[in-house]
Amino acid sequence: MPGTPLEKIRNIGITAHIDAGKTTTTERILYYTGMSHRIGEVHDGNTTTDYMEQERERGITITSAAVTCEWHDHRINIIDTPGHIDFNIEVNRSLRVLDGAVFIIEGVAGVQPQSETNWRLADRYNVPRIIFINKLDRTGADFFRAFATLKEKLDIVALPLQLPIGIEDKFVGVVDLVEMKAIVWEGGELGAKYHDEPIPADLAEQAKEYRQLLLDTALSVDDAAMEEYFDKGDVEVATLKRCIKAGTISGAFRPVLCGTAFKNKGVQPLLDAVIDYLPSPVDVPGIAVAAEEGEDEHVERRRIKADPSAPFAGLAFKIINDKYGTLTFVRIYSGTLKSGDMVMNTTKGHRERIGRMFQMHADKRAEIKEVYAGDIAAFVGLKDTTTGDTLASQQDQVVLERMAFPVPVIDISVEPRTKEAVEKMSLALQKLAAEDPSLRLRTDPETSQTILSGMGELHLEIIIDRLKREYGVEANIGAPQVAYRETITRPHTETYTHKKQTGGSGQYAEVKITFEPLGRNEGVVFDNKVVGGAVPKEYIPAVEKGIAQQAETGVLAGFPTVDFKYSLIDGKYHDVDSSALAFEIAAKSCFRDGMKKASPIILEPVMDVEITTPSDHVGDVVGDLNRRRGMIQNQESSGSTVIVRAHVPLKEMFGYISDLRSMTKGRASFTMQFHHYDPVPRNIADEIMAKSA
Amino acid sequence: MHAPRLHWKRGRQEEGPGVHRTLEWIGRNDAGEAIARVVRILGPVWSGWRTYRAVALDDEAKVVELRPSRPDGADWLACVGGQVVGRAPVPLQAVRAAEAALGGD
Ligand SMILES: Nc1nc2c(ncn2[C@@H]2O[C@H](COP(=O)(O)OP(=O)(O)OP(=O)(O)O)[C@@H](O)[C@H]2O)c(=O)[nH]1
Ligand SMILES: [Mg+2]
Repeated sequence: MPGTPLEKIRNIGITAHIDAGKTTTTERILYYTGMSHRIGEVHDGNTTTDYMEQERERGITITSAAVTCEWHDHRINIIDTPGHIDFNIEVNRSLRVLDGAVFIIEGVAGVQPQSETNWRLADRYNVPRIIFINKLDRTGADFFRAFATLKEKLDIVALPLQLPIGIEDKFVGVVDLVEMKAIVWEGGELGAKYHDEPIPADLAEQAKEYRQLLLDTALSVDDAAMEEYFDKGDVEVATLKRCIKAGTISGAFRPVLCGTAFKNKGVQPLLDAVIDYLPSPVDVPGIAVAAEEGEDEHVERRRIKADPSAPFAGLAFKIINDKYGTLTFVRIYSGTLKSGDMVMNTTKGHRERIGRMFQMHADKRAEIKEVYAGDIAAFVGLKDTTTGDTLASQQDQVVLERMAFPVPVIDISVEPRTKEAVEKMSLALQKLAAEDPSLRLRTDPETSQTILSGMGELHLEIIIDRLKREYGVEANIGAPQVAYRETITRPHTETYTHKKQTGGSGQYAEVKITFEPLGRNEGVVFDNKVVGGAVPKEYIPAVEKGIAQQAETGVLAGFPTVDFKYSLIDGKYHDVDSSALAFEIAAKSCFRDGMKKASPIILEPVMDVEITTPSDHVGDVVGDLNRRRGMIQNQESSGSTVIVRAHVPLKEMFGYISDLRSMTKGRASFTMQFHHYDPVPRNIADEIMAKSA
Repeated sequence: MHAPRLHWKRGRQEEGPGVHRTLEWIGRNDAGEAIARVVRILGPVWSGWRTYRAVALDDEAKVVELRPSRPDGADWLACVGGQVVGRAPVPLQAVRAAEAALGGD
């Protein structure tokens, strides 16, 4: 049986904007829980979770890392995620498999764009969360201002469970509004020592006010607690905690704590809150199974509850290749699994044998013989399981809801420095792409160049660096290009007959396909409307394969074609001369001819850009954005800085950082992330097509 | 800490399957008379050809008050003697509003 009872397990993620202090906080957690014997620092390049060379050199997190620790008789599995948007896939996949999350918010800047993006992601996966306002030791830190941005930017009911005692270099501890006491850190021993005190007199009034807000909000989720309050004018700590937990899980409100990870204050109460308020695997409704083809997305679907004695079900959410082979990270949702067991990969429809299994601790691993519902473990030696696949018992072959992956927006061409390395590079890139669903790989059919598509310049830079360090392949890269897409704007039906007579057996296939435009981000949808066997069943997959391949090379400028639906409505076949290959060829030609007549257009990625600039440069910044075809969305000032938010085509953003620096004497900064695809203006479309011709 | 003056008890609950949310809290004085009520805003309610956000129905299942849209950030109304005396996002705050409206004694 499992070592830790399910209700004492917490699977949580730590997520935030870049540099908010996720890794620093994780490092403290590992120290206070006794998992490490010293505190590493990001700037010293010696933290546990930033273990990659590139992470240590750059002082940023690139890949998510899982660690496990014990706190008050509970086991907490933590995934430390990166903040940089280029590595957002790591946040995406982590939130997908975790039961709860800690959002870290910067005490000076408040909610920043990446936190906003990740917040929406957590909304999508319904992840209960608590908020930690960090860096209260920094000059300019302001708990209440940062707190206000929670409502402004995230539109949530944020509920303080703590108030700071002192601020900036005078920050010494927190008022605990649940137990109405002060917690003060003693300075020495890296923050391991702290004690309770009465609430300082100058904070008594404020504490009372916020305590009332806490009661008002928290008790409203539980009628029995309300009655207890009406009877006694207050409630037991246990009642209040029960209400906070219920509201946190339902999302009625979001508890807020505070501290400074770097100065070692506030982390232990954060751990207590993780245990008290974030759900265990049995506190959540269970993961939903995927909708069947054609099923309404919105109907309530079966949920898999955490139960070690039920049939096994798990989700592969991360893959890494290292010198020992391929490690597949799996979140186990139900059942028990031993090494040697057979399971089904129900997404792909084949069997997998479970080899060795490990509990991961950053880059270290400990072999385990069994895994149970609620665990996160890494499997070695799965033969064909990729990120997002479901593994399930052969008795109950469920398919769990798939993950959504971020869209890569930047292309670069890569070429090995030496001819001999061609094959090696291709294998290495395939491995890297298998690890990272936000990295795509294709071959330009005209130039035969390998094209990598990624989330941003940093993302691709890291890939090229890993190619060199981990696989020993030196590569030349082209200038980054915008990852354009193609689509169509009106429906068209095309019939294509593929006929060839070469000596003996011929080739014959006819397909009639309707191509229709879909909304942005709706992907490629296939609908088989053939009746009466006009195209025999066994050839239908060949039609799909042909279209999927041909769609990679759009009819206008060779970019992948997206957001369209195609319906096979009719066709003809020949008993002797028809084959899968003939239908594949017919489908490809039908696509090439048909799409041209469906008013094709080119789409370009448009970025959500946020610029923070001193107010005396706002005019220059905005004028420049207009020249870059930017649409200003919003302009807000706080003190002497102004935050400008705009939608700008990615094409116009290359090299922006240096232009912005020279415009503002280095005083402005910006972040950007993909927002949507838009049709490119005529003149630019012509330019792109001329280039590709 | 604020100590309630009236004795507040659960009133009507939501009907039908699933979780039954409390729709109203009734505040009684020491003599047991219902003095004040705090009611959850419900809706939308369809009436004639329009849909309305409505407050909880009263004992006779009449619509107490209809308005085209829910007042922003106010899911609860405080009522004393059939009059709306305040609104709040959570019931405890509405309870305080009702008690405040009763005045000091
Ligand atoms: N003053 C102060 N600095 C902090 C605090 N927490 C983190 N830092 C510093 O902020 C920088 C970024 O911290 P990290 O822990 O790497 O932040 P992160 O959120 O993990 O960053 P990414 O993973 O790259 O997104 C480091 O230099 C930390 O030392 C804090 O509470 N106070
Ligand atoms: Mg980090």
